[in-house]
Order: sequence, then structure tokens, then C-alpha cells
Amino acid sequence: MKALATTCFLLALATPLWAQDALFDDMGGQPGINKLVDASVDNYLADPRIKDIFSESNIDRIRAELKDQFCVVAGGPCRYTGHSMEATHKGLHLTNANFNALVEDLQSAMDSCNIPFATQNRFLARLAPMQHQVVTR
Amino acid sequence: MKKLLPLFLLVPAASFAADEAHTVVQKGRAFRPAEVSINRGESLTFTNDDEFIHQIYVQSPGFNFDSDERNPGQDITETFTAPGTFEVRCHIHPKMKLVVHVK
Amino acid sequence: MRPFIRALTLLLGVAAQPAFADDLFDGGKLLATGGVSQVEGAGGGGLANWALITGYGTRDGIGANVHYTAVPLPDYTLQTTGVAVGLFDRLELSYAWQAFDTQDVGAALGLGRGFTFHQNIFGAKLKLIGDAVYDQDSWLPQIAVGLQHKENDRGAVIAAVGGKNSVGTDFYVTAAKLLLAESLLVDATLRETKANQFGILGFGGDKHNDYSTQFEGSGAYLFSRRFAMGAELRTKPSNLGIVHEGAAWDLFAAYFLNKNLSITAAYADLGNIAIENDQHGAYLSLQAGL
Repeated sequence: MKALATTCFLLALATPLWAQDALFDDMGGQPGINKLVDASVDNYLADPRIKDIFSESNIDRIRAELKDQFCVVAGGPCRYTGHSMEATHKGLHLTNANFNALVEDLQSAMDSCNIPFATQNRFLARLAPMQHQVVTR
Repeated sequence: MKKLLPLFLLVPAASFAADEAHTVVQKGRAFRPAEVSINRGESLTFTNDDEFIHQIYVQSPGFNFDSDERNPGQDITETFTAPGTFEVRCHIHPKMKLVVHVK
Repeated sequence: MRPFIRALTLLLGVAAQPAFADDLFDGGKLLATGGVSQVEGAGGGGLANWALITGYGTRDGIGANVHYTAVPLPDYTLQTTGVAVGLFDRLELSYAWQAFDTQDVGAALGLGRGFTFHQNIFGAKLKLIGDAVYDQDSWLPQIAVGLQHKENDRGAVIAAVGGKNSVGTDFYVTAAKLLLAESLLVDATLRETKANQFGILGFGGDKHNDYSTQFEGSGAYLFSRRFAMGAELRTKPSNLGIVHEGAAWDLFAAYFLNKNLSITAAYADLGNIAIENDQHGAYLSLQAGL
């Protein structure tokens, strides 16, 4: 009995907390995430502060990769097959101001997708640490 | 001298001697040089001297390929087996273009 | 005082150059992440100092703001006006001018009705480690240290009530954490101080004349990008024999219209002040800046 309890406890510790969360569902599942990605990329491309960052990029490819990545971050049943945050952003020499502008555009997109503010923050909390790999200037 | 001047006004297309290593550099999300001429059956080595991951592809009726990705510092070699003029592009960076004239 | 104003004028003059100003005052921080202006002029909540650096400048730029705070209490009115600069999200410099109007109590004390104490408060805060906003994957808070140097202009009256000095300096260490997944901002500060009523009644006293360690803390819930509500507690030493000085607390609501303007309203209880008990009332503060 003790062995069983210990095993269950250790398994629970090993499972990432994210996987136990309902965030993916609270964001509308994959359809909700797809809608959010499209709305947010539209915002980035219209934002004079950061639109030039995307001038040489393959926007369709970015949309597809973000849909996978957001699904994974939200705890959904996806596999992200893109490159690391560091590898994809290193050459862009991004600042905190760039990163924050993107966050603001993402927040506006989440507002337009009617994602409640508390849910938005749960999602942003998982994205925030990417600043360490994405911002290199 | 006068006859030579117009030649200098042409957009330079790098032309490699038959046994030279044919290298194209990827840097600043662009190919350098942007245009080359080679002979059929010869290869081009693409060196990623950039801060971005790149790949290369050609999509044309007579000839095509779609390569794996290469990190900064890596290179990849492709052999051009068909004659004609081809555009080498990158899926990740749609504005990158290399024009290859294959004789 | 004069060197400080000269430095500030130089900074503002430099900042006024158009192209340079755009880059330097980058306004890049997320809304509300510079806090508001606390009662002694530093970046923070209402009563409490926070580890956040004031203003909207990211680590590549500068932010600055001015603020005005009014605290009408049953028997007194406290007003603070100040200016603060956040440099590269690392160093914060602040100056606040406080006026404490004793109104009728002044008359009762024989000082004259509307007798007013004034304080000049010079503040400096240095962020040491951590980032309250980005470090969501770590328990490490953003930690800063700082000081507030205060000069009160009513030395004679301070001495008459048992205060030992009209000039004093508070030293503090503060830690802030944005628990983003919970939409909560929390901050805790330890302050070494000799100040009586924030320095309004001088520093040190007949009962106790040494530094003591005091605590101040805030908790705020974020309802939206623009609106937060929370509570604060600030303990104070009791150095004077004439009155027992208790802790101050408040319940606040802060609204950030945009990165240029915020308004904070609170119900504040500053405890006993001089001979009057139970000083609680409204707290209203406006901050405008970049």
C-alpha cells in the first residue's frame, strides 16, 4: 500500500502542472487558439512598433507554428515541431519594448476573442518566461 | 576601351570556372551573390553565414528539390542536373532569391 | 536640493530633443508595471514602497512622472506633490514635497489654526535582481534596496512634542512578485526608520531614539489591464511619549487610463496622529507621466 501511495505521489510530482490545467479548454480548444493566433498575427502586422520585424518572414508558416505552439503551451494535445525560441529569434535582436508590444497585441487579440482576463493571465504566465530566450538586445 | 565599358554596366552574374568550388553564402537573409551561372551537372554549396536557420528549394517543371534546414555555420550542397534558369528560395524567408543559370 | 533640480532640468532638457526623446522615453513597459506613487514619492502603492521601478521606460530607456496626492483626514490634511524618474528599469530617483496641515488641532496645540509641517523627501531605489513580470517560471521576486531622506521644516515644534531630530533617513529592502497566473501582485518591504508619522513629527523620540525595523506590504488583484484593487499594511515605530503610533493600512483601487495617467483612490487609516486618535479617511492620488 505504501509503495502504491509513494508511486502515485512521485508520478503526480513528475507530471507538469500545466497538463492538469483546463487552460486549453478555457481558451476554446484548437478552434479558439486558431482564431486567437490569426487575430494576434493580424495585430502584429498592423502594429507600427513591430510590423517591420516580420517583413522578411513567412507569415503563413508563422501562423501555423504559433497554432501548434500555443496549443502546447495551453496544455493541449499537440506537438510543437518548430525550432527553439532562441534559434528563431536570435537574429532579430529584439528588445523588451518589442516583446512587450507583442504581448499588448496578443492581449488585444485575446480581448477580441472574448477570453476572460483571468484566463488571459494564466496563458501569459506561461509565455512570459520566453522573454529570456526571445529578447537578446 | 569603349567597347568594354557597356560590359561593366551589366548586372554582374558570378561565373565559376569548371573546377572551382561553387559557393553561395546566406547572410542577412539574402544570397550572396544573388545570381550565378554554372554548367549542367555542377553543384552549389550553400553556406549559412547568417543568424537565422535557412533551407533551400527550387520548384520548376524541369527540376526541383526541397532541402532540410541548416543552422548558422552549417552548409548544404545541391547538384543542378537540368539546364535552364532557376530560382532558389527559402521556405522560412520568402524574400530570399538566388537566380541560377545552368548551361 | 539645488543640485537635484539642476540634474532634473538637464535631464528634461535633454529629453525634450524630439528624436532622442522618442528612443529614450520608450514607453515600453506594460501598463501598470511601474506601480503608482506612494505617499513619500517613490514608486509603489499608496502607503507601501514597491520593488518596481517607476515609469514606463524599459531597461533600454527612461520613464518619468509627476504626482499629486491628497489625504483628507478627520482632523488633518496631508498633501504630497512629487516627481520621479526611472532610469533603465534599474535606478529610481524621486523628490516629494509633503504638506501636513494640522487645521484645528494646530489651534488646540497653541500653534495656530492651519499650522502646517512641510517635508522634502529625496528618494533613491536600486533594483538588484529579478524581474517581477517576466520571471513567471521562478519563485525569485524582484528585489530592490533604497533610501528616503526626509527634511522637516518644523524643528522647534518637533522638539516640543519629544522628537529628537527634524532630519532623518529611512533605509529599506523590498521584494515584488507578479503572480500572473493568479492575477495577483504582491510586495513586501522591510524598512529601517526612526520616523514619527512618516517624518511629519520628526525622527526619534523621548520614548525611543533608535532605528527600528518596520514592515510594509501590499496585495493587489488585477481585474483588467487597467484596473486593480488591493490592500496595504504599514507598521510604524512608536518613538514619542505623547502618543502611541500604530500601524497604517488602506484599501485601494487603481485605474490606469493609459501609460500617461493613473488615478488611485483609497480608504486609508493612518492611526493615531499627535493628540488625535483614529485618523482615517479618503486617499486620492493622480500620476501623470511617461
